[in-house]
Order: sequence, then structure tokens, then C-alpha cells
Amino acid sequence: MNVLLSWIREFVDVAEPAEEIGRRLSLRGLALEGLEAQGDDWLLDFDVTANRPDCMSVAGIAREIAVVFQRPFRAPHTRLAGAVRTHTAPSMTAPAVSIRIDAPDLCRRYVGAVADVRIGPSPQWMADRLTACGVRPISNVVDITNYVLLELGHPMHAFDHERLAGPAIVVRRAADQETLTTLDGKARTLRGDMLVIGDAARASAVAGVMGGAASEVHSGTTRIVLEAAWFKPQSVRATSKALGLRSEASMRFERGADLTAATVAMARAGELLEQTGAGRITAPFIDVYPEPYAPQPVHLAQPRIAGLLGMAVPEADVERILTALGFQATRSETGWRVIAPGWRVDQHRDVDLIEEIGRHFGFEHLPSTFPGVQQAPQPSDPRIARDQRARRIALARGFSEAISFAFIDARHASPFLAGAAPVALANPLSETFAVMRPSLLPGLLAAVSHNRRHGRRDVQLFEVGTRFSPSGESRALALAWTGLATPDHWSGQRRDVDLFDLKGVVEHLAEAFDAPLTFDLPAAHDLAADVLVPGRAATLHLAGTAVGVLGQATPAVCDGHDMPGTDATYVAELDLDALSRHSGALRMAQPLPRFPAAVRDVALLLDEHLSAAEVRGTILSEAPDTLVSVVEFDRYQGTGIPEGKVSLALRLTYQSRERTLTDAEVDTATDEVVGVLHISLGAVRR
Amino acid sequence: MRINPSIGPDRARAVFDEELQGITTDAALRDLRHRWLARSGSWVAGFMDLLAAAAPAEKKALGRGANELKRHVEQALGDREAALAATKRPEGAVDITLPGRQPSLGFRHPLSLIREQIGDIFSRLGYQVLEGGEIEDDYHNFEALNMPEEHPARDMQDTLYLATPVPPPAVPPPTRGRAPRTPQPLTLLRTHTSAMQIRQMERHDPPVRLVAIGPVYRRDNLDLTHTPMFHQVEGLVVGRGITLADLKGTLTSMATALFGEGQQVRFRPSFFPYTEPSAEVDIRCIRCQGAGCAMCKRTGWIEILGSGMVHPAVFEAVGYDPAEFTGFAFGMGIERVALLKWGVEDIRLFYENDLRFLEQFGR
Repeated sequence: MNVLLSWIREFVDVAEPAEEIGRRLSLRGLALEGLEAQGDDWLLDFDVTANRPDCMSVAGIAREIAVVFQRPFRAPHTRLAGAVRTHTAPSMTAPAVSIRIDAPDLCRRYVGAVADVRIGPSPQWMADRLTACGVRPISNVVDITNYVLLELGHPMHAFDHERLAGPAIVVRRAADQETLTTLDGKARTLRGDMLVIGDAARASAVAGVMGGAASEVHSGTTRIVLEAAWFKPQSVRATSKALGLRSEASMRFERGADLTAATVAMARAGELLEQTGAGRITAPFIDVYPEPYAPQPVHLAQPRIAGLLGMAVPEADVERILTALGFQATRSETGWRVIAPGWRVDQHRDVDLIEEIGRHFGFEHLPSTFPGVQQAPQPSDPRIARDQRARRIALARGFSEAISFAFIDARHASPFLAGAAPVALANPLSETFAVMRPSLLPGLLAAVSHNRRHGRRDVQLFEVGTRFSPSGESRALALAWTGLATPDHWSGQRRDVDLFDLKGVVEHLAEAFDAPLTFDLPAAHDLAADVLVPGRAATLHLAGTAVGVLGQATPAVCDGHDMPGTDATYVAELDLDALSRHSGALRMAQPLPRFPAAVRDVALLLDEHLSAAEVRGTILSEAPDTLVSVVEFDRYQGTGIPEGKVSLALRLTYQSRERTLTDAEVDTATDEVVGVLHISLGAVRR
Repeated sequence: MRINPSIGPDRARAVFDEELQGITTDAALRDLRHRWLARSGSWVAGFMDLLAAAAPAEKKALGRGANELKRHVEQALGDREAALAATKRPEGAVDITLPGRQPSLGFRHPLSLIREQIGDIFSRLGYQVLEGGEIEDDYHNFEALNMPEEHPARDMQDTLYLATPVPPPAVPPPTRGRAPRTPQPLTLLRTHTSAMQIRQMERHDPPVRLVAIGPVYRRDNLDLTHTPMFHQVEGLVVGRGITLADLKGTLTSMATALFGEGQQVRFRPSFFPYTEPSAEVDIRCIRCQGAGCAMCKRTGWIEILGSGMVHPAVFEAVGYDPAEFTGFAFGMGIERVALLKWGVEDIRLFYENDLRFLEQFGR
């Protein structure tokens, strides 16, 4: 809200510089957003919060200044009370218009007055003030309605009397599909729930939003009907929104106008008409006001003030503040009985009053205290510690943390849907943010691509975040790795990352979550089959449920993110919710073994299509319980190995908790295992 | 110089010192030692010969001079030998100035660092830390927070809606309050984490002491200071006798923990539908310390959060008696804290995941 300091000074004697006024009001709830010199005057721009339509006016801001600086306020309601009385007194002059409210639920008051006018330009001082406040001067009559709106915050409208059929004013709901051309020249189609001001024949204004072109005041207008009314905020808001039409009037009505100010505004308009020589109100105000303002008194218990604020406010200050703001506060046994003025549409309860008292007494007087603890803290969301554990492992393995937008391009989401529908937004900001991510991988691949396009060949990133599907949310960890397997070093050989580098990290994670993951060939409908290179892809299972993927991202998926170059990018994604659902049993410590272990290395010649898992599985099922570990330590194909075969070397470790194992029994056990491997898998010991 | 003891021990000493000056290798040092100390043909041997032939009257002085020279030469050679040894690499030595082999270690995202720090601050103060769901129903995101349909305050947070609602999460129904007893389908992306607070209050009696942290969504276009997704932390304390002064103490302590000891904080009255009284909180500009700069628009203060005393209507919605309980609430953007703390000028950097940016904030 832009206000001129000279205009403010018509309501309150405040000699302080504009800057100090702004600074002090900022600490009392009206934040100064801008300050600009206008000749020898100042334009102050205040940020008025949505609950204070009364401060969308010069008088409203002046009232706040008067309270802050403790100066008398020249209230328009008081100053114009005499004029209102004169204009509403019974008179012999017949009003030249009839007014009827057909929708009293949406229009609680309508004040109309007929004035004879000579249309011309406004005096310079008025045009200057309007211009400074961002309103374009049009003609003396229209300018007066805008001047009153800015000064008192009460919107007004002027109709050309001659162009009102009847002449009559009918406040009614529009007919469905009724049309009206508004002042901005646009034809509007109305809905049945919209309020209009009509004449005897048709709609001539959208109530509280904008006037109609047909009844517009023009250069030849000689008689007008002035309107000062009260329209229901929700109705004006809905209409303005539906029509996509906002005006200075609608912004005030939708926040709530002062029901008691309609006649005051009309009296001020009459005064200005005469003062500027634009004309004269010729007949008494017609005030259709079926249910006058009757505010509910609010009881303000004195102890409640300190109880809510945590600071005591002296009684004298309570009364000073409330009275200066226009409240009527009368002492009661335990506090005050308070009646709010018509312009304070934000006042409903005692806490509203306490806010007024607190802010004008000054939040700077609040002490700093701490809430006492009455019980042990409730447990935090277990996902926080869990996610932190996942992060720690990823960081320790060299992955930096990414955070991506949860909405992505539908094109990027589609390969990751695995047959499900995307969770789309009804009103996305753009194509780029159209659907909620079904997986963290598209965002991570976009980040890898961004880094590669900015000169980084080696990229290791992870993200912990939420994924969305038509059945709801799930939290996942995703990893992406491309470029070198270990950082460049003067001593070493360079090697690019491969699948087993990333698989090792996933194995670490599985171990940390106590989750015995299996790495399986993807089935045809699996996500892994859609986005990973065949032969370098695994679906991760936990107790029979798919909980993630691991493998090399396909060139098609990478190209979708404009990934430069042809280097392989390995990715993995793990459902953390599924992982944490599984783990949980408290692990008991095991005593250290007291007897030595015996180790046997076995080299086998195998069919190259046989998986290590099958070999390991056979060994574990055939060997005695004393076999405590099987580790593949070498795999070789080439010179000396027949075509179609592979040499696989395994280290078998035996250990007993009861005794030292003899060489003979360990050898026998190993021979027996090799024998079974030969029979069932065709393995030959080398 | 030719070996010539006749110049006397004092001048010989100067000759030695000069010759020692140029010695940088073990071999040269060995030669020098031989030239000065060898049993025959050296400077010292020459002096011994001179001494043997000297007249009795000169013998005493010459003897002392020759001995002093010998001691000086031995001492200086020993020192130089030690100095040369110190510059030499021992057997099997490596060049310790070569860079170490660093195991790769990832960098934390700055937002993640702040998020954890705030969680820690409030855990220490006895708060439970919650995250909640990111898709919500209209009731928990708006209505229960004193923002019914058509409330102008809904414009303050432009909302992103789902094209098709998602079924509500399978959690036990609320035990109190006005919430629909059958869970509502989720229709929107939460505009604040307050929805989580409502869900918690609906299921628990006071006292309540929690912070809710996580991503929130608003229909804001990307620019230097706005992203359509950002992270928020909101606090809520409900009990008997909770006051605005308690809020001031708590937030001052948080600001100190985040921005450093002595960080000044001020409260400005403001408006939020779910608090009354409401206050915005400013910190002393961390760049200019209040002198006035571009960052604080020359006011010396920077707004960091919104807060206030929980509105009675919110208590009524969750079935708490506003006559018995009071509470405070606050909400702060994590990006905003990160922008201020590290002087980041473009909020979009937090979502580009450029390693050149991420690697600036520590592990």
C-alpha cells in the first residue's frame, strides 16, 4: 500500500521523518517495503498483511501511526458524523433512484446517492495524489471515488444516472450465462452465484469487482448515482477469481470492508464533489441496511494477557492501546469487555486483542524464556536415523550427496514406471516438472549428465529421497557412478568403474541393514529390464520381494538426459522402507574362536555359464558345519583354459568352536565337496 | 691456498672457514678433513712441525694457537657432517612431498547439513523430530490450520495438486479432533510441514514438543530466491503456560546455534492464519552486522522465519482445549538459512547437484 506522508498528516500530527515512521511501524506490524522522495513529500510503501484490510487506506495507516507515536487521530467517522446526519435526515427531495437488495446474504448494506455533476478534469493536487499512489486520473467524478477508496479504504462506484434503466439499482445474483461488458472493455459471461448490480433491465456492474461499460460515467454525464456498499468477502473473492479480474475494489472487499463506513465514504465523496466544484449530492442518501452492525463483545481476562505473551502489560497501556485503535473497552471484574470497531474485521477472540496489545506494547519487551519439560521426549521418526546410516555408507564409499526436485519431465519418468501409472500433477509449473518421480534414478542421471557436461568425467552421486507411485510414497537410496573407479594417483593404474565396484557398495548397505539381498537376473517386467543393459543388470530381492536394481544404465536412458560420451554409468536403487521393515532383530555378540582355522584353496575348471552362486551354494550345502566361509579369490579364462571353460579358485575356511580340526578331516571334507561338485556341476579340480 | 702454516693459526682459521663454506657433498668434506687433519702433509700436521722447531719463547703461544685451530676444525667438520646427513634420504626413503592416496570420500549436500544441524539442536532441547508424508489431504494442509476453502490466506501459498488422488497411508485413525474419521485421499503436495503437526496432535495428548522437517512444495517459478520445492523446518510446543516469551527464548537459542554466538534476533508482528499473535523473526544481518548493506536492503536485519502462538481454532480442530493449553509454532526455510549462512546468491544451485558447488561445504 502506497501512501503519501502529506496525506497521512491530514489525519495525525506526526512531524517525524518518513524513515523513522517506517522503521517504527515495521516493528508494530506494518512492514515498510519502500520509501521514495516525491518532491518535498514522501511516498511510503507498506506491506499490509491479509488480515488488515483497514490498513489498505491512508486513514488506516494514519491510525496505526497515531497509536505508535501516541498522538491524537482525526477519525473520519467522527469528523464526518455531522455530514452523515444531514444527508440521512428525512427530506422533502424525492430520491431520483430506487434501490433494492435481492441478495441480502451477499450484500449487507447498499448506500446510494444521486448527485448532479459537471464532468471535467480533477484539480491538480488530486490528480497528483492519485498518480503518486498508482491510480490513473480519469475524470473529476471517477477520481473522487478512487480518492475516497485510497483515503478511507472503502470502494465506491459512480453510475451514469441516465443510463440506468428505471432508474433503479437492484442488487441480485446474476442469471447463469448472463453477459456484461466491464469497464476494461471485455465481455464477461457470468455465473448464477455471482453478485451483480443491475438496473431495471440488465446487469450494470459486477458487485465489488468492476463497473459495466454501458453505465459508465462519460464526458457528457450530468447526473450520477454514487454507490458505497458492503459485499460478502467470499463472494467477491470467488467472483474475482472466476473472472480473472482483480481491482482495487475487489482486493478490499474480499478481505472485508467496514460495514459502518458506507455512509462515511458517501459523505466524504459529497464533500469532495463540492470542494472541487465537480458537483453536489442533491438528494438524501438511500441506505438499505437491513441488519446493522452488532458486534459481539469479547471478554478479555487480564491474566490471559501475561499468560499468552509471557510479559505483563500495565492496565493503563492495555486501555490506551485498545482505545486508540478504536475499540470500546469497559472494565469488568476480571478484565475488560471489548467491542471491536467496524473496520476491524480480523477481531473474533481474546487472542486477537492480546495480539493488538502485545504488538503495540512492543515485542522488544518480551523476555527470553524456555518452555519447561513435563515428560520425556517422544521418539523421533525412525527414518531419520536410518537414512543417516545409508548416507554415511554412501559418503564413505566416495559418493557425494545430491538433492533433486521431486517432480520431473514425463519423458524422463516413463522408462522407470515398470508398468505403473505416473503420479501426475494437475497444475504443473511446466513440462519439466509434470510428474512426481517414480524413481530417484532419473534425477540422479540428470545430475551426472550436468556434471559431465561441465567438464567432470568422474562422477559419484547418491540421493536419499521420496518416490511416488499411485499407491503412495516410499523412501529410497539411489547411487550413480561413472568414470574412474578410484581417484587418480601418481602411483597407480587407472581403471574405470565396473559393475562389481557398485555391487560392493550395495553389499555393504545390505550388511549395514542386516538384509540378506539376492542379486537376480531381471524378469521381463522388472524395472531393471527396462532401464539397464541386458547382461549387466540385476533385480535385488529381499525375502522374495523386489527391493531394488543394480546395473549399467542403458544408452537410451542416458541419452534421454543428454549424457555426453559413451562411458558406462552404473546405477543402483534400494527401497529403504523395505530394507528397514526387514531388519530389526537385536544382534548378539559372538565370543571369539579359541581354536585355529584351517584354510584350503581349491581351483576348479567349470563350464563358463555356471554361476558362482551355484558353485558356492553347492559347496555350502555339502560341506560340514565347520566350513565357515567360501571366498572366490581368482577367476581366469584364456591361455591354458579350454574354450568354453573357466577356472575359478575358491578359498574354503574351516573352523570349530569345540576343538582344533585335524588336517586329515579338513582334506577329507574338501575332497568330498569337490567330488560332489564334479558329479553335480561337472567341475574338475585343477 | 697452498698449505702454509707460516701464516699463523689465526689466519689459517680464516682460510679454513672460507674453504668449509663451499662444501656440499660428503666427498668434498672428506677431502677437506684430509687437507686439514691428516697425520702428515695437512695444515694441522704442518703446525705440529712448526711447533717442534719453534724457539722456546714462542712455543707456548704457538702451541695454544695450533690446538685451538685443531679443535675448531674438528668441531666445524663434525657439525657440517651432521648437517649434510640430515639433508640426505635414508635407505629406502620415499618422496614425502608427493600427494597421498586419498580414499574417495563423498561430500554432504549443504541442505542436508543444515537439516541435520537443526534436527540436532532441537533433539538436544528435548524435541521429537518428525518428517511426515509429502502428499497430503486438503483438511490437514489447510482446513485444520484455520484456512477454510475460499480463505484469502490460501493465496499466500499457491498449491500444486495431483491429477489423480492417492490413497491415504495405512495409519491408525485420529483419536481426537475434527478430522474426518475415514482417512481422506491425498490430493496435493504439502505446502508446509504443518500438516504433520496436525496429524501428530490428533493422535497424542499434550504436552507436544516436536519439529517437522522435510521437503514442501509451492507453485513458485524458479528464480534467484524461489524454487517450487524447498525444505522447511517447523516447530510446535503445546502445554500449560507456554508463552510468546518461550518462543523468543527458543528461537534466539536456535539462531545462535545456527549463525554463531551473540547473534541478535528481533520479533516483528505479522500475520499467519494459524497463529495469533504472529511474529516474523529477523536476525542481525550477518554480512554487515547491522550497518546496512545490499543483502539486508539497508535495514540491518534479515527475515528468517514466521512464528506465533498457536491459534485457538487450530487447537479446536485437533480437540485440544484452548482455555487449558497454549502453544507456540514456527516455520523456517532451510534453503534460506543455507543462503544466508554461506552467502549463496542463487537458490537454484542447491538443486543442480554440480559437484563444484557441493564440494564447498565439507564432508
